[in-house]
Amino acid sequence: MLRQPLTRALALSSPTRVAPVVPAARRFAEQVSVQPEKVEVFIDDKPVYVLPGTTVLQAAAQVGVEIPRFCYHERLAVAGNCRMCLVEVEKSPKPVAACAMPVMKGMRVKTNSDLTRKAREGVMEFLLVNHPLDCPICDQGGECDLQDQSMAFGSDRSRFTDIHFSGKRAVEDKDVGPLIKTIMTRCIHCTRCIRFASEVAGVDDFGTTGRGTDMQVGTYVEKMFLSELSGNIIDLCPVGALTSKPYSFAARPWETRRIDSVDVLDPLGSNIVVATRTNEVLRILPRTNEEINEEWLSDKSRFACDGLKRQRLVTPMLKDSRGNLTPVEWEDAIVAAARALRDCPPDKILAVAGDLADAEALIALKDFVNRLGSENTYTEQYFPTGGSGTDLRSSYLLNTKIANVEDADFVLLIGTNVRFEAPLLNARIRKAFIHNETDVALIGPKVDLTYEYTYVGDSASLVKDLAAGTSSNEVLKRLESAKRPVVILGADQLKTEEGAALLAYTQELALRLQDNLQDKEWKVLNVLQRTASQVAALDIGYKQGVGEALAAGPRVVYLLGADGGVVTREALPKDTVVIYQGHHGDAGASIADVVLPGAAYTEKRATYVNAEGRAQQTLPAVTPPGLARDDWKIIRALSEVSGAGLPYDNLDEIRERLSQVSPALVAYGDVQANNYFAQARALAKSLQKPVSGKLDVQLKQLEDYFMTDAISRASPTMAKCVQAVLKQKTSPY
Amino acid sequence: MLQAISRVTTFSKNGLSRSLPILSLSNGRYASSDPTCKKEAPIIENDAVLALPEERRMQNALESTIVVPVKVDLSPITGVPEEHVKTRRVRIYQPPKNAMQSGTNNIHHWEMEFDNRQRWENPLMGWTSSGDPLSNLKIQFSSPDEAIEHCEKNGWIWYIDVPKTEKDLRPKSYGLNFSWNRRTRVSTK
Amino acid sequence: MLSSLRSGVQGLWRVSSRALQTTTTLQHDSLFVHRDTPEDNPNIPFEFSTANQKRVDALLAIYPEGHKRGAMIPLLDLAQRQNGGWLPISAMHKVAEILNLPRMRVYEVATFYTMFIRRPIGKYHVQVCTTTPCWLRGSDAVLNAIKEATGCEVGGNSPCGKFSISEVECLGACVNAPMIQVNDDYYEDLSVEDTKEIIEKLKKDEKPKPGPRSGRFASEPLGGLTSLTEEPTGPGFGLQDGLKA
Repeated sequence: MLRQPLTRALALSSPTRVAPVVPAARRFAEQVSVQPEKVEVFIDDKPVYVLPGTTVLQAAAQVGVEIPRFCYHERLAVAGNCRMCLVEVEKSPKPVAACAMPVMKGMRVKTNSDLTRKAREGVMEFLLVNHPLDCPICDQGGECDLQDQSMAFGSDRSRFTDIHFSGKRAVEDKDVGPLIKTIMTRCIHCTRCIRFASEVAGVDDFGTTGRGTDMQVGTYVEKMFLSELSGNIIDLCPVGALTSKPYSFAARPWETRRIDSVDVLDPLGSNIVVATRTNEVLRILPRTNEEINEEWLSDKSRFACDGLKRQRLVTPMLKDSRGNLTPVEWEDAIVAAARALRDCPPDKILAVAGDLADAEALIALKDFVNRLGSENTYTEQYFPTGGSGTDLRSSYLLNTKIANVEDADFVLLIGTNVRFEAPLLNARIRKAFIHNETDVALIGPKVDLTYEYTYVGDSASLVKDLAAGTSSNEVLKRLESAKRPVVILGADQLKTEEGAALLAYTQELALRLQDNLQDKEWKVLNVLQRTASQVAALDIGYKQGVGEALAAGPRVVYLLGADGGVVTREALPKDTVVIYQGHHGDAGASIADVVLPGAAYTEKRATYVNAEGRAQQTLPAVTPPGLARDDWKIIRALSEVSGAGLPYDNLDEIRERLSQVSPALVAYGDVQANNYFAQARALAKSLQKPVSGKLDVQLKQLEDYFMTDAISRASPTMAKCVQAVLKQKTSPY
Repeated sequence: MLQAISRVTTFSKNGLSRSLPILSLSNGRYASSDPTCKKEAPIIENDAVLALPEERRMQNALESTIVVPVKVDLSPITGVPEEHVKTRRVRIYQPPKNAMQSGTNNIHHWEMEFDNRQRWENPLMGWTSSGDPLSNLKIQFSSPDEAIEHCEKNGWIWYIDVPKTEKDLRPKSYGLNFSWNRRTRVSTK
Repeated sequence: MLSSLRSGVQGLWRVSSRALQTTTTLQHDSLFVHRDTPEDNPNIPFEFSTANQKRVDALLAIYPEGHKRGAMIPLLDLAQRQNGGWLPISAMHKVAEILNLPRMRVYEVATFYTMFIRRPIGKYHVQVCTTTPCWLRGSDAVLNAIKEATGCEVGGNSPCGKFSISEVECLGACVNAPMIQVNDDYYEDLSVEDTKEIIEKLKKDEKPKPGPRSGRFASEPLGGLTSLTEEPTGPGFGLQDGLKA
């Protein structure tokens, strides 16, 4: 067993190993109860017991035998067309394709026999007949399945004598948008991209055209791959046929340093690997985490990384007499900011946190502002304050948890376009839709979610009727009869006038359903936040709705990466001092009097809490540019100069402080089950006012998706995406 | 996290079972199969027979195994500067699968790495420099237990980072592509 | 042919270093990507005619609910016939719309089958079989005669726009070699003169009589039947007397 760590700091970082994971246990119990009898098969004479219907390849994986493959992918349908997984099965006259062959009782599979190796060698030879020898100029070089497998399983000599290359197949390249570069001659027709587009992305635009040696993978017509998950086909492609356009010819995989981190551009906190070289983020790849992103990554998270090099604030700045921001030393900027803060009456200080603020900076800023005597810390995103407000964690989180959405049998989406607000959650719902026959209903504007759903309408009163149980809509019956319903409310609704009532009705509906469930562990209520910082901010105790505070006429406004355009110069009194701390010169910096350059998420060790309440930390991959510094350190320095010094000097101490506020904030990787649903529901009763409006969401179309925060707005790749999508919209295809 | 624990237990079990039989096998072979051993009279060392009781006691004390205290702190004698002991955080993890490839070789071990420190570009050649002597130190272990022990010996603050990477096994079937009453029927076939 | 000759010469030239043998590059004569042209682009509307719409409904009725996509090939064929022998992209879109399928799935089928022609062709699509039996019986001469008569190359359209020639593999009429197929009709047992006459008639939009030109009815021996010439025997032939009623 693991020993408990010795220091307090350690306990902070690894306290999660004791808590038993309840849903897993529950699922296991269910499996045990309904499990059919397992069959015994022998892989290389090693016995293994597997469920009937398991494929030979899966059975082999269970005993750690990896069968080479090109077309087979765990998360896609079985295609069985590359033939690389051929293995010998005793008493079978021919080698069989392990990826498609179900096991039979007593089957003896030989994954390393002469026949198997010969079959693999033959397949390799056929694949390489038409594969160009351009590994030296191919971006996949060094991380290419074809390269590796031809080394491991291919022949050591060539029978290919056509040195004039007159016989090699050549295929025209396709233009599928600004993210994916295609070199179709390299394609080995594994059809993984086609299956991904069709099954996961839900955009049936890829296919094979022609036949025989002329067959090619493509779109037939000139068409962009209109998906928010398109970058994943780059990862899926086992050869260099689909590579990343922004990353093309940038680096070799062995030159880069890979740092495991967490994405903050959407509320899910997908796990990522940041590849860097020479202090520069070159690309971002997904990192497998079954509980969050599986192994996918959305396009914004993957490709917006070039925004980290542009529009950066690299030096502190002060507004000079002519109203221009001029670079100054840290000392001058800190002193100027501290003076403004000190001279300001406490109730006239306003701190606003933006989309990308980390928990450390959030707590430091809140503590600092509190020490100055003010309670005015707000987030840009709105959340209703009535009822239980943000006191109970259950009312602003995805309580079902991302992975469990797969097990749902009915999903009701209220005022959210999951596809663009949290693309990977949408991918989960789509997975449930396909594999578990989950049905989906939507209240809100009609949007393309990539799967079929029952459209209920876009009027807010529908939610009220459902909550009261008076609706005649068949969705109510479906919800009530569902064993594991899920209700997801989009954060876009909360900022409207009727947000509080909508939240209250949603709580009422979800908790009424939850009370009637047999499965007492199942959580129905979900609120999908829009940004990575919001959950941590609410946990720490930030208030919502800057509007009232702005109306009070603050004298000093402290913007912590607040670029959402909620605070504008017009809304502020003339002599207000605006201090902007952040990493990008965006909306916030343009109105600032003092600019304090901070670090972006790839440059600091920082805590982010995702929409389901899971704390995760980013790791520094590169150094902040120029004079930029870690955000919490800036606030710490500022507090010292303003005479309200904060009591933490290093990361461990500030995390100690975080754990005092909420232990969940430092329980990295773990998510705690929420309680007090009934109390939240009771408190919300008072908010159930009549509603009459229509639900609307901000991100409706693909072009809205790409540029939503300071980093993606600075990214040229994202700008190209928007352009390309708009151009594609004018095309007849 | 639960997996980490279970993984640890399996690893340690394996380690145990791997080491035990080897030990017993060698002893057994030595005792039974070597005929010279059986026939020879026991060799009596003169020193042992003729030793005084005090000498024998001392001899016994020297022969018995030395019990090492469980917690070993090597940091005072390793010569690692104090700032690289006290201020470093070690992350213990399993290397993630490269998303670009499907193979999973070389990722079944555990690694430790230090926190990433500042790098800067050398103005002369444009190379990247670092003042951190531990920046390229990645040590591989077969279990997180070993890694933790190593860190604690050296006085480094460690934490384990284990995202859930194992998924529920769902039997895949080629037939589902053509299923007539399920949504798994693919449009591409 | 020329390319293989060239590589052969090169091979001869380099024979001292390495003896190499190359194959000619096999390329299909049609493209497997779509290019917008004035004749074929998605802005040209395509609708099934009223008569064909009835056929569409009848075809769809054959297939059970949930498997309507089985009607794709018949529908594409119907569209091709309506459109004068070739399949424009807007017709594919129409079929996709009728079957409620992604357009790509229709493109896949339309490009897979060689009998769907995705470029504008002439009114008479002349398909010349040049597979071994026809070739041995002089299909080269037939093909040349057609080329001369129409002024059209293989894979192209004639200047008058009336003819298109394709060189095809075995059409299953080897007994009547050489043969050509013009739209839906087979013309068999051809000589060069027969071929010219057929083309001339087609030029005048007269329909030549389909079938063998050698005077045969179908594929029976040219010099008359050599077996089964007598009257067929009646029932009870060869039975034992005892069994006869």
